[in-house]
Amino acid sequence: MVKKTVKVLNEAGLHARPSSVLVKNASQFSSDFTISMYGYKVNGKSILGVMTLAAEHGAEMELIFEGPDEEEAASRICSLFENKFENKSS
Amino acid sequence: MKKRKRSKLVKGKPASSGIGIGKAWILEDRRLMVHPDKIEPADVSVNIDKFQRAVDALLYEFEELKREADEDVADIVEAQIQTLKDPELHKLIREKISQELSGVEYAIYTTFNGYIRMMEAAAPDWLDERTVDITSLRNQLIAVIRQKKQKVSVHEGAVVFADEIPPTVMIELSRNKIAGIVMQRGGLTSHAVILSQSLGIPCVVGVNWKKYPICKGTDVAVDGTRGELILRPSEDELQQFKVEQEQQREREKLEAEAAGSDHQTACGASFTLQANIEFLAELPRLTQKGARGIGLLRTETLLFEKRGFDVEDQVSFYSKVLEASAPGDVTIRLFDAGGDKLLEGAEEEANPFLGWRGIRMLLDRPDLLKNQLRAIYKTADKYPGRVRLLVPMISGLNEVQEVKRRAREVYDELSGSVQIGFDDVPFGIMIEVPSAALMADLLAGHVDFFSLGTNDLIQYTLAVDRGNEKISNLYDPHHPAVWKLLEMTRRGAETQSIPVSVCGEMASQPAAAACMLGMGIRELSMTTQAIPGIKALLCSRSLEEMKKLSRFVLSAHTSADVKAAFSDFMKENDSVDRDQIKSG
Repeated sequence: MVKKTVKVLNEAGLHARPSSVLVKNASQFSSDFTISMYGYKVNGKSILGVMTLAAEHGAEMELIFEGPDEEEAASRICSLFENKFENKSS
Repeated sequence: MKKRKRSKLVKGKPASSGIGIGKAWILEDRRLMVHPDKIEPADVSVNIDKFQRAVDALLYEFEELKREADEDVADIVEAQIQTLKDPELHKLIREKISQELSGVEYAIYTTFNGYIRMMEAAAPDWLDERTVDITSLRNQLIAVIRQKKQKVSVHEGAVVFADEIPPTVMIELSRNKIAGIVMQRGGLTSHAVILSQSLGIPCVVGVNWKKYPICKGTDVAVDGTRGELILRPSEDELQQFKVEQEQQREREKLEAEAAGSDHQTACGASFTLQANIEFLAELPRLTQKGARGIGLLRTETLLFEKRGFDVEDQVSFYSKVLEASAPGDVTIRLFDAGGDKLLEGAEEEANPFLGWRGIRMLLDRPDLLKNQLRAIYKTADKYPGRVRLLVPMISGLNEVQEVKRRAREVYDELSGSVQIGFDDVPFGIMIEVPSAALMADLLAGHVDFFSLGTNDLIQYTLAVDRGNEKISNLYDPHHPAVWKLLEMTRRGAETQSIPVSVCGEMASQPAAAACMLGMGIRELSMTTQAIPGIKALLCSRSLEEMKKLSRFVLSAHTSADVKAAFSDFMKENDSVDRDQIKSG
């Protein structure tokens, strides 16, 4: 199991687009992915769950990965948060 | 059957312009009746199966829609696809079936409703918007299971009446040649309205049509420009509408022809007319109206629509604008908020126009400025040679240098991942504060172009708040002082050979536009509606006449003198239809 704490850096919070990017990436890994925010837990691969979290700018959350590719998944997802869900390529 | 039913005029909000005449077709209000039935344990797997197959059927349909669609439509469909595949959604529905022994329809219905309720209760507006999409999915799944998939068999030329129209339904509808759309709900930024506009389907929203006796086949005439419709129009009314429709078609044809022609005065001097744009919905009209690019892209909506002003959201927005305006260039103005466009968290000021806004606000909000600059450079990299950056409310050299420094910083941070050079994105400033006009010759040495914001320039110069009814008549674009400042700006630009354009309302006033050309300002940007009219005027007169006009105006003593000069200039215009100019 891998646990990481991240912060939502996007000024407009985790709205529709970043939620979609998050779920799209998380779904590529086989490991289970849970997001825990202020005591509330959601499946990170569920778009409806992530959207209804409606995490705001500055919100802190704990990401929990469990499975064969947990390290990889954690690394990818954390960097998404760090990069404000921006596309790297122009 | 009554012999003669009276016609009825119904008013709403204009959402997409144009005239449509046809027979009503009502989009069923999908208020589903789902019964809380209980099933036998033996039937659990059958029900789960039905659910899975319904999901697969919809996924197949959506994937197809996505393939044929253009970018923004594809994004909308992609979001629906992700939802259909949501693992938690599946889990909850299966549980309801296997553990609570609910029938598949009820399981779907209640599970979706759970999410919908959460979304409606949540604070952010954007989440609320999503409920239309989710509700649509719920209904479509159930319809598939009932094998009553409404094939949206709307007849050609129909006027569609609906409560609101979910995106995927809108897409299906648009495949048929419908004459118009009338909706009870539908904000101007809803998917349905945006799609109507880009497809050129007349649309009126905010109409409580249910209280009228409308049924399938009722004759309807829709005026999307005025935001009105007539039920069962009389012969006369129908004639009027038809004439209006014909006139519109004629106008559009002329415009399309004119749009293709060169921007040249009668004697062959060239000029450029561009568009002032604020909303994506305005984009489809660009080429039709003959705009050669976008002289002013206002970006404040990004701040207020709460769709997010993330770098990526901005890039996506800017990219859409760039796509729609190819091959012209686009001048992106940094957030000009504060003042009357209150930024969230900003305090009310006694004098907002002289207050914390434009570049002042941006310099105090480095995160906002940085994000926007970053998004602009990234966009410029995608569309090399077409993006220009414009800074609002500059009042002196210090500000110019400071913004440039920060822009350079942002660029350097990006330099690994972009191909374009820093100087490949022209850096320009709005000339709207009088001090900037007075120091134009100095400022010209530090920037790549000027854009004259005459609306505010006039207010600041004449000390008039346009919104103050008591003195609003003092807001006078004919005032000689204003023209002197324009000339000062132009000369300043000339000393350093940088381009200068006008993006304020004055540019869309016919004689004023001609005068500007006469002065040597060859680039004008205005609301798209005004372009054809101004183009017609400028193409029909010689530069010599315009120069003569400008010489007079620049030596005039009073507004009355300038007004008279303009009036004389226009009188000479026998060949141009007066009405065409006025309505332009």
